Amino acid sequence: MIKSNLPRPRWLQPLMLLSPTTLFLLVFFCGPLAIMVTYSLLEPGIYGGVEWTFYDQNYGRIFGWADGLYEEFDPIYLETFAKSVRLALITVATTLLICYPAAFWISRLPSRTRSICMFLITLPFFVSMIVRLYAWLLILRPTGVINQLLMSLGLISEPLEMMYTEGAVIVGMTYIFLPFMFLPIYASIEKLPGSLIEASQDLGASPVRTFFRVILPLTLPGVISGAIIVFIPSLGNFIVPGLLGGAKVMMVGNLIEQQFLYARNWPFGAALSFMIMAAMLFLLLIYVRVQSRSIGASRGEGV
Amino acid sequence: MKNSSRGGDLKRLALSVMAASAVTILPTHVSAQESLNLYNWGDYINPEVLTRFTAETGIEVTLDTYGSNEEMLAKLQAGAKGYDIIFPSVHMQDVMAHLGMLEKTDINQYTGFSHVDPAFLTATTDPKGEYCLPYAWGSVGIVYNKKLAGKVTSWKDFFALTEKGQKVTMLDDMRETLGVGLIMNGNSVNSTDPDELKAAAAFLEPYKQGIAAFTYDSIPMVQSGDIAAAHWYVGAMMYVTQAPDTLDYVIPAEGATKYQENMCVLKTAPNKENAIRFLEFFTQPEIAALNTAQQMNGTANKDAIELLPDALKNNPNVNPAADTMSRLQMFTDLGKGLRLYDRVWTRFKTSQ
Repeated sequence: MIKSNLPRPRWLQPLMLLSPTTLFLLVFFCGPLAIMVTYSLLEPGIYGGVEWTFYDQNYGRIFGWADGLYEEFDPIYLETFAKSVRLALITVATTLLICYPAAFWISRLPSRTRSICMFLITLPFFVSMIVRLYAWLLILRPTGVINQLLMSLGLISEPLEMMYTEGAVIVGMTYIFLPFMFLPIYASIEKLPGSLIEASQDLGASPVRTFFRVILPLTLPGVISGAIIVFIPSLGNFIVPGLLGGAKVMMVGNLIEQQFLYARNWPFGAALSFMIMAAMLFLLLIYVRVQSRSIGASRGEGV
Repeated sequence: MKNSSRGGDLKRLALSVMAASAVTILPTHVSAQESLNLYNWGDYINPEVLTRFTAETGIEVTLDTYGSNEEMLAKLQAGAKGYDIIFPSVHMQDVMAHLGMLEKTDINQYTGFSHVDPAFLTATTDPKGEYCLPYAWGSVGIVYNKKLAGKVTSWKDFFALTEKGQKVTMLDDMRETLGVGLIMNGNSVNSTDPDELKAAAAFLEPYKQGIAAFTYDSIPMVQSGDIAAAHWYVGAMMYVTQAPDTLDYVIPAEGATKYQENMCVLKTAPNKENAIRFLEFFTQPEIAALNTAQQMNGTANKDAIELLPDALKNNPNVNPAADTMSRLQMFTDLGKGLRLYDRVWTRFKTSQ
């Protein structure tokens, strides 16, 4: 009682307000990250785990150098990383292509239909992802729905090879990450004031011009957040390439899984994980910088 | 049967979670009644064996499962307690022996041990059977769709399918699949010679287009005709007996790998006496036969073979003759050499 009447030092308040977040980040972000970085600098134990001696070959190996056992220069891990980035970017593009028009359309629906649509978007979360991916296997396989339909229509004579291809991986990842792209875009489109679009049209802008000068810039934050939340899990995904890619399409996630579960090389797995983390943190930093600058710029204009 | 649960990383993850939660529950049901806690591969023991054991001894048995040797080791190393008996593959038994995790049971002193075929005392750390009891074994061969593939008797036939534009799958296991390449080049499946490994990958390379996938989930696709044949375990016999007109399993003529699991008692076992009683119980030929008849794999109990149903006893791919047996190789632990496989395997998988 007495205590609460005492004036608190001014610096204490922000510190206390920030402490739950800081604590959360320390425990759930910095802690695991520190373990990962430490492991990535240690020698792999013969039966898994780590030996507590410094080992400098994990990162060099990512870039293709020899690792004491394998004496050839082989940039295979960078190739895999590049491939993962490419597949993740394609996933971002396909989800965006589907979600942007869909979000527009849904936001213009009467409110009852709209809430049903929103429910349908989140509905897949009620079923295990693995089950849903297996369903895609049934759809894509040679004796699956699509091939049988096309063959019975006489459009093809031989079944198309769709299962276990890169295309199947992209379909699977697009399907899994669709809601993650949809929700932020929808949020920004819903906030879009109709008056601005009207004003743009009244002032003689063509629909195309209105889209690029008014609608797109105003919904861009939603697109960027959607792109980031889709890109990050796509890059590290190992389940979709494993199931729908038939483990023939290798992504960084599969490499990491391989290190921990089969090659008994935790430090190298940790180094690979750290490489993904670093790439993502770098991207996020750029995003934060660009965003804070654009907020600053818009404030400057206001004055 | 063990093999199906070897697949699917998520399945494995789910199993681990289940096993982990089981570990925390275990200590609650102690004393009062005599108990025994088994930690085994998924579906790798006939439940009837456990019922019979409980009926005979009054010992309550609990069973938890794992999906891979590595997972089981990692769990135990992370401190999972309460388990009495585990079922490691032979090379993992050696690893665990080196780590000092196994209890000496002197099971070879027990009279029933005479039923065990000494050819199955394959662990280098336990050549006399002082620690573990050989449990079951099986080959890793080819399961195929007769209507699509015709008759398959060898790896040559298997790879020839891909040249005819048909699809096959191989296991998503670097040692098994590179192992086929090693066998075809006449090398040991335990080779750690970088050149032999690269030659093994080079052997497989031309067929990569026809290898639809590296997966464990192959049986339904062989059955539906999505693929013509699959590199798979003898456990496929369970499906073959259900659909004998479509499916068949064969040990390839050039040779194949075999696996063997042993029953071992942990140093940390809370019920060591009961565990040893279970090992003794399992040396009985009729119990081993009861297990094998349901599992459709091989038994290390030489007197159990006579008691098996004819369909198993007379099937040369399940109960192979001596010359076929001599062409089956077993994996040993390679220590650091495993990392060499990892590199060659990653290169092989990612090459276009």
